[in-house]
Formats: sequence, structure tokens, C-alpha cells
Amino acid sequence: MSAADLGSLRTLLGRLADRMARATAVERIAIAVGSTVLALALGSVIVAATGYDPATFVGALVYGAVGSASNVAFTLRQSTMLILTGVAVAVAFRAGVFNIGVQGQFVVGGFAATLAILWAAPLLPAGTLGGVLLMFLGSVAAVIAGGAYAALPGLMKAYADANEVITTIMLNFIASGVVFFLIDGYLRPPGTSAPNTEPFPDYVGLPSLVFDSATFSVLGLLVGLLTVVVVAVVLTRTRFGYDLVTSGHQQRAAAFSGVDPKRTVVATMTLSGMVAGLAGALFAVMILGYYSDPNSFPTFGFDAIAVSLLAANNPIGVIPAGLLFGGLDAGRQYIGFTLDIPPELVEGVVGLIVLFVATPELFRMAGRYTGLGGDRE
Amino acid sequence: MSLADYTARNRVGLGVAGLALLVGLLAAVGFDLPLARLVTVGYLERTLQAATPIALAAVGGLYAEKSGVFNIGLEGFMIFGALLAAALAWIVAGGGDVSQTALWLGLLGTLVVCALLGVLFAVLTVRLQADQIVAGLAVWFVGLGFGPFTAIVVWGGVSSPSIANIDDVAVPVAADWPLVGRLFFDASPLLWIAVAVVVLAWVVLYRTRFGYWVQAAGENPEALDTAGVDVNRVRFVTVVFSAVMAGFGGAVLSIGFGSGFTGTGVTMVDGRGWIAIVAYLFGNYNPVGAALASLLFGAMEMLQIQFQTIGVPVPGSLTGLFPYAAVLVVLTLVGYTRMPAAVGDPYETED
Repeated sequence: MSAADLGSLRTLLGRLADRMARATAVERIAIAVGSTVLALALGSVIVAATGYDPATFVGALVYGAVGSASNVAFTLRQSTMLILTGVAVAVAFRAGVFNIGVQGQFVVGGFAATLAILWAAPLLPAGTLGGVLLMFLGSVAAVIAGGAYAALPGLMKAYADANEVITTIMLNFIASGVVFFLIDGYLRPPGTSAPNTEPFPDYVGLPSLVFDSATFSVLGLLVGLLTVVVVAVVLTRTRFGYDLVTSGHQQRAAAFSGVDPKRTVVATMTLSGMVAGLAGALFAVMILGYYSDPNSFPTFGFDAIAVSLLAANNPIGVIPAGLLFGGLDAGRQYIGFTLDIPPELVEGVVGLIVLFVATPELFRMAGRYTGLGGDRE
Repeated sequence: MSLADYTARNRVGLGVAGLALLVGLLAAVGFDLPLARLVTVGYLERTLQAATPIALAAVGGLYAEKSGVFNIGLEGFMIFGALLAAALAWIVAGGGDVSQTALWLGLLGTLVVCALLGVLFAVLTVRLQADQIVAGLAVWFVGLGFGPFTAIVVWGGVSSPSIANIDDVAVPVAADWPLVGRLFFDASPLLWIAVAVVVLAWVVLYRTRFGYWVQAAGENPEALDTAGVDVNRVRFVTVVFSAVMAGFGGAVLSIGFGSGFTGTGVTMVDGRGWIAIVAYLFGNYNPVGAALASLLFGAMEMLQIQFQTIGVPVPGSLTGLFPYAAVLVVLTLVGYTRMPAAVGDPYETED
């Protein structure tokens, strides 16, 4: 075979690989959409079976998500948190490491941000400049704390062979417990009964700009999107990202090409935890304005697992997936306020979405039976 | 990992465990803790009760993983078990005072429904080759959502009202024996059932043909297939068994020793399904070992009450974290030493 033949063979193979990649991307989107539709349909069946009206349920879900300007603001607020935590999950899953501890890293990050802000507030000038400095300081503290808290299970996996799914879940429980203990015991202002810290100075916060909402700022959404871009660039354009993704796909090949798998695991978890920590800082600054009992927090870190899986662990895909789950969450809260259908149902539906996403074979089979593009594979 | 590595690591692990025990003892002496008052008969009784649901779920999970399916959804199945037992008993009794018959019927119904849920999960993981970790997590999420949802449908709130639990049975004469009498012969029949399950699970796993099939399905499915046994059928059975056992464990929580279902937060199961997974890892996939590890975690869980009674100044919100911290220590020291070779790989026959 001549050199020219080899060259054309290589382009042919390259084009084939591209086609395959695109095919699987389309397939993944189809699986994501199929899973969501199937889960919502099942949810509606359950609504009907328990004696409620499924049309009202779906209508309220949609209205709660996008029905009014304030509902959209709420959706975007939840989406922002889910995009950030979702990217945190995606980074780890990409490398074949299951970081179920994003919730704990998020709690610890937000707590570190709170400590930094409350500690430094008297030392810095009041006003916008002080606010910006404090938020920056808080974010740095959160990123460090979140990264360190995630490095722990990373080290345990790499050097003691401890299953990270279980260690990270245990660390979630421990994070919530210890942070609650510290706030309740040491940070609660004297004379108050609620386990809340002192509020941040009112110059710490993000201006709402577009939407008239006290707990959502487009700047927060921008932070989330920017993080997605940074993570996507790190994963696709850097040596570290390349090592990380190869270890996820082909551990032996990665080790063969000189990647230290143990160090990659620790670095992956740390990066993932840093993003989760940043999410915690944003939660404390943008949404709460103080810190509270983590057991009462929304479970962004768990829902983020669903977000990441729906996005096939692709950082960019986390954006639409985060928007969808943000909308579901806003719809859930709206249902809780207005209908007597238990909003917990929507959480179950999210679980079903994950279950279906985990079973691509289900859709391939459905495709084969219906004759709709099922002849791939 | 070679045998030498294994012993070397365990020697380190045992050394660290011994050191921790020594430090604990020194601290106890140093701070003048009343150790004798810490370990009481009541404490042992509570430890047994706390260990029972964990041990049941652990035995189930162990069978599934031995056969090659990592059922990481134990926590979710436990939530379903806890809810179903309380709800079915409540419905059978028609609300109000729940009779003993209703409680036993509720337990029976729970096992049946959990078997059906297990069949669904087995279809997904064994037949449709779903990602075991992700599907297991999904079971947890589904439980966290639909558990409290069903509670609202039945009782109008995420938790049930107070429900009676299954009565203790006292064996005449034996109940008067010192220590053992109070611990085992004036106890809940569920405790006896759990002990029987553990022993039977050991016998079946190591002394019957089916037990060898289970082990082979996890270690060398090709060989089992060649021998003419349907690997996926064996796995199907163990996955259903694990769902039933986890559901049983959940039922023990709500109507065995508890007084109904609590659906707030992460529900009353509160991580015990995850602890069950660690229990069988720590017990090295041996049912008896898993039960002993469950006792350890039960003892951790109940330390909180002991500390409060003897006035050790550790706040309850921290002692409540002991089991989780213990899991981390155990996993770090024990790790995944003897995981079955084919865990996580769906098996496809060649024909």
C-alpha cells in the first residue's frame, strides 16, 4: 500500500469516526428526550391513578416553569445552581469517577464562603468595592474548601481503593452534620433560635439587573455559563483534560501513555469539588445572604447527577439539561403552592428520568420494535 | 492483587484498628469515662435492633454483588420497604389502631411488592444491561421522591402517624436466662428471622449448588455458561432477592422497631442502605461477616444515646455522625479487596 493510499485511508477513517461520533451524539439526545418524555408520561399516569387530573398537573408544571416573568426568574435561578453543580458532576463522571458528593462539597464551599465573608467584612471598606472584594474572597475560600473536601474521597479511592460512590455519600452526611453543629453551636447570633448565621452586609450581593428578583441575578447565570466554558476548554484543549477523559474511557491505554491514574483521580475529584464549592458560594451570596442548616437546603448536588447524566456528561450539554431540570424544579414548587398534588411526585419523575437514561438499550429496543431508526449498533 | 499484598494491607489495617482502639481506651481512662456504664444490657439490645435492618439489606446486596450485579439501589429499596410496610399495615387495619395481624400482613405485602420492584430492576440491569451504578442511584432518587409522595397520598403528610410495631415474643424459661434471655428470648421475632436469614444465606452460598452458581456468575460467568447454567437467570434471582431483603430491612425500621414511616429529609432510612453496602464489603462478602459488621455499625449508631445517658459532653448532632465516619475508616482500611471479577459487566451469551 502506497503512502498516498495510507493518507486517503486515514482521511476516510477520520470521516467515519466523525460520523460515528455524530451518530452517537444524536442517539444520546434522542435517549435524553425519550427518557424525559417517558418519565413525564409515567408521572402523569401516576397522577391520574392517584385521583388527580394529569392535564392540570402538566399545565401547572409548565406554567410554574415559564408562565410569568417571576417564574422564569425562578427557573433560571434553579438552573444556574444546577448548571454549576451539574458541571461539577460531569467533570468527574467524564473521567469515570462517580462524585456523588457534590452536595457535600457544595455545603462545605458555601460554609467556607460564609466564614470568609463574615470574618473579613469588618476589615474591608463598606460599599460596592468592599462587596466585590468580599464576594471574591468568599469564592476563593469556597473553591479551596470544596476542592479539598472532594480531594479526600479522591485520595481514598486512589490510594486505599475505597469506592468513591460510598465515601462521597458518607461525606455528604458528615458535611451537613458538622456544618449544622458549627452554625448552631458557634455562629448563631445570641438570642436567636433559628440555626442561621448573621446576615451578610447588604453591599454583598449580586444586582438583579434584568429580572426583578431578590434571589436571582443574571450575573449569577453568567458565572455558571462561564464556568461551563472554562471546564469545557480544560477538558478539550489541555493536556490535563485529555488525560482525564482518556482515563475515563480507556484506563489501561491512559496508564500506558504515561498518565498516573492515581494522580488523575485525585485531580479530577479536586477540580469537580472546586466547581461544587463555587456553586456553594453563589448559593450563599445570591440566594441566601447568610448561611443556615444545610439539612434544609435544596438538594442541588443530587439533582445535578441527573443533569449530568441527561447531558451524557458533556459540559456544554449540561446547559440545556440544567435549564430543563431548573424548569421542573420551578414547576414542582409552583405545584406545591397551588395544587393539592404532592410536589414530591416531580422528584420521583426526576429519578425515573435517570433510570431511563441509564438504560439506553430500552430505547434501542423500542426503536427496533417500532422500526424508527433502531437498526444502529 | 496477590495474596501477599492482601495480608500486608490487612496487617496495616489491623494495626491501625488496634492503634485506634488503644487511643480510644487511653482517652477513656484519661478523661475518666465510666466505660462500664457505657456498655449496658439496654445498649446491647438497642445495638441488635439497629443492626437488624442493616444486616438484612447487606445479605441481599451481597448476593447480588456475588453474582455480578452491584445493587447500589439498596437505600432506595429500603425506603420503599419502610413506606410500604407502614402503608399496607395501615390500609389493612383500616386506619386507627393497627393490629398485630395487620402488621404481619403489611410485612408480607411489602416483601411481595419489593419482589415485583426487584423484577423491574433486574429487567433493567440484567436483561437491558443498564449501567448498574446509575440505575442504582436512580432507584434511590425514585425512592426519595415516590416514598414521601405515597405517604402524602395515604396519610396526607410525608410521615405516617404513630403506628404500633410488631410485639416482642418471650420464650418461657429461656427469657429468664441472664443477658442472653433479655437479648434474644424476650425480643422481636424479626430479630430471630434476621439471624435465620443470615445463617441460611451462609449455608446456601457456601454449601449448595445454587450458591456455587451465584459465586461463579460473579467470578467466571463464561465457565458457568459453558456448564449449561443460564448466568442471567442466576443474576435475576439474586437481584430480586436483594430487593426483597432491602425492603424487609426497611420494613423492620418502620414497623419492626420503629413506630411508622418518617419521610422528611432523606427519610427514616437515613443512609442505612449505603451502610449496608459497606457492611458486606467489610464482612468480605460473607453473610456472617456482614452481620457482624452490621452489629458494629448498630453499636456506633446507638452510642449517641449511651453518651447522653452517662453525660459525656459530645453533642448529639456529632455522635449521630459516628456510623458515617466509621464507614469512611472501614472503607479506607479494607477497600475493595476481593470484589467478584465480573461485577458490573453485563453477560451476553454467545448464541
